[in-house]
Amino acid sequence: MTTDWSWIGDHTDDLTTLTFSHLQAAFSAVFFGLLISLPLAVVAHRIRPLRGLLLGLSNVLFTIPSIAVFVLLLPVSGLTRTTTVIGLTIYTLVVLLRNTVEGLDSVPAKTKEAAKAMGTRPLRALLTVELPLALPVIMAGVRIATVMSISLVSVATYIGDGGLGQLFTDGFQRNFPTPVIVGVVLTLLLALVADALLVAVQYVLTPWTHRKQRAA
Amino acid sequence: MYELFKNLGSWLVSGEQWSGSDGIGHRLAEHLQYSLLATLVAAAIALPLGLLIGHTGRGAFVAINLASFGRALPTVGLVVLVFLASGLSMWPVYVALVALAVPAIVTNTYAGMNAVDPDVRDAARGQGMRWYQVLFQVELPLALPLIMTGLRLALIQVVATATIAAYVSFGGLGRYVFDGLAQRDLVQVLGGAVLVAVVAVVLDLALSGLQRVLFRHRPA
Amino acid sequence: MNRRTLLGGLFAAASVPALAACSSGITSLDGEGNVGSGGGSSKNGITIGTANFTENQVLGYLYAAVLDAAGVKTNVRPNLGTREILIPALKGGDIDLLPEYQGALLHYIDPKSKATEEGEMQNALAMALPAGLQVLPYGMAEDSDAFAVTRETADKYGLSSLADLKKQNGRLVIGAAPEVKKREVGVVGLKDVYGVEFKEFKSLDSSGPLVKGALKKGDVDVANLFTTDTDIQANGWVVLTDPKNLVPGQHVVPLIADRKADSTVRKALAELGNVLTTADLTELNRQVDKDKKDPEDVANTYAEKKGLTKK
Repeated sequence: MTTDWSWIGDHTDDLTTLTFSHLQAAFSAVFFGLLISLPLAVVAHRIRPLRGLLLGLSNVLFTIPSIAVFVLLLPVSGLTRTTTVIGLTIYTLVVLLRNTVEGLDSVPAKTKEAAKAMGTRPLRALLTVELPLALPVIMAGVRIATVMSISLVSVATYIGDGGLGQLFTDGFQRNFPTPVIVGVVLTLLLALVADALLVAVQYVLTPWTHRKQRAA
Repeated sequence: MYELFKNLGSWLVSGEQWSGSDGIGHRLAEHLQYSLLATLVAAAIALPLGLLIGHTGRGAFVAINLASFGRALPTVGLVVLVFLASGLSMWPVYVALVALAVPAIVTNTYAGMNAVDPDVRDAARGQGMRWYQVLFQVELPLALPLIMTGLRLALIQVVATATIAAYVSFGGLGRYVFDGLAQRDLVQVLGGAVLVAVVAVVLDLALSGLQRVLFRHRPA
Repeated sequence: MNRRTLLGGLFAAASVPALAACSSGITSLDGEGNVGSGGGSSKNGITIGTANFTENQVLGYLYAAVLDAAGVKTNVRPNLGTREILIPALKGGDIDLLPEYQGALLHYIDPKSKATEEGEMQNALAMALPAGLQVLPYGMAEDSDAFAVTRETADKYGLSSLADLKKQNGRLVIGAAPEVKKREVGVVGLKDVYGVEFKEFKSLDSSGPLVKGALKKGDVDVANLFTTDTDIQANGWVVLTDPKNLVPGQHVVPLIADRKADSTVRKALAELGNVLTTADLTELNRQVDKDKKDPEDVANTYAEKKGLTKK
């Protein structure tokens, strides 16, 4: 393996573009994943028979190789960013749906009853009581989904997208390890930073969790 | 879509598709070989590590965060990197699959060990049990459900990801996915994907069956 | 209501980066900042798609260099895949222009075509291409498919032409990109024209590290390579001759969506086609594969040196 580290300095523009493209794909997937999984999770939480079906279905999705998902989307959305985002979103659903349902399950029945007794309407109770209390578990899911998406984006290199994943195909074709190493390291860094940021977001959003701990 | 699934039916049942070196039978065997061997190697590395960390409590931070690291590691990049270092060999496939499986097993094994009630552990020590007796007779049986969860998770991921072997010239069911992509033969891609999913689900069911058998012998 | 503000905070925090990403994403949903895919005329820019091997990317960036100089905005999308993937994408409007190869393209569009001479093939292509697509005049440079064996294999089995392979039917392993298994200029044609049958087909890549590595290692006996690959000479591999003309002429030819093929584009690409020789192309490939230079830089430097970027 012959590496050429000056390659990095010569390609900062390309690396920046690819990094942003990479993050855009990953974050879009998590965003759309949340958008779809939140209502689905509420339904699955309320209607027991649907719960097994939805969770089971999402588990099966997880066993399908991601590259196949991207390829099978080609007739639908072609060689586009949309294909990448749809494919990634499918994988985020597996994690987000499960965690949101579990988060909602974790809300104590007594709390829900108290809200009801106080005359809180169901939708309002969901938005102001249940979801906030489910937040820690949901956020754990968001963290997993984000890290997973950041790693999975590179698979889309097989359909000509893939952000930093393009460095992998490039290095592969030319027997050139430098871009590959840079791609792997940058992907790991992005995942690490995104995860840390989400921890911080969760900390800010759920003050009661650490307040409680301090009191105990 | 309807057409695709109809053609998938005939693809799956045609005798020609099942025979020969590119037949489903052979590809299935290759896929199982890659997946099972990689998971076994990963378990051989990860189980002792997870048990050790769980038993001693040292390195818990690593055990907890390893899963996140494993999820972040881009498999395609790892495969290419090992390929460039080792040339045409099975190394890229096995390194990538083992790297994928180890974190899931370590983290879950540790979590299982960590969930063992400290009082139970102390009681065992108080009875004069040696460290290995505590580990194998007390902690391990209690941690087993989560350890099995880790193994099952690892195996599912490995089966789905073993597809990548085809990218570096090898076989397995991924051959259908990559060849189908190059030939724009979506029936072949779908066939490969469905077979991978079936293998993953069947292996998962087998492991959960095994888990149930193991539990039957556990003293209540 | 403390909790309500919390929840508001959740949605704001979760959706801001994603929304920001999406709002920029929706305008460019068909690729990262694609200029004018699917739009009318070259004034909206041209998206150049390229296949998954070095040379095609060099050609894509060469097209971009001369088009940019002619005032046409371009966007090159490298490594999109095989012809089988690219041509549907061209029809669908995801890309507008592709560097293609005359004979291989013709056989993809019309597998039964008997045309072999360049002019004939150009006419046949014009007839056979689906509505909305056209080929521009072909260039001087040529890159053919070659079926190569190592010197040892050639000596061992007495191979010098594709016809010799028949004597070893069922004994040899061929390595090529997966699509070659189903292509006329590939396993299908080798059987039809020469009666050759292989013991096994190994799916590898397009004159890339897999197929060359496998040939070197002896994992395959026959390898499908490109004639512009300097590794053939460097390794002393033997290219089997083709007495029955299975492999058609493979001049580089631009395949373009009608709506983008205006006079500016035609003129710029024709000029490039008349300057770029096979030797030039081989050398540019070598710079990318061996010297690890960027295809884009290699293309720009060449275009400048040849005066193709001057107005």
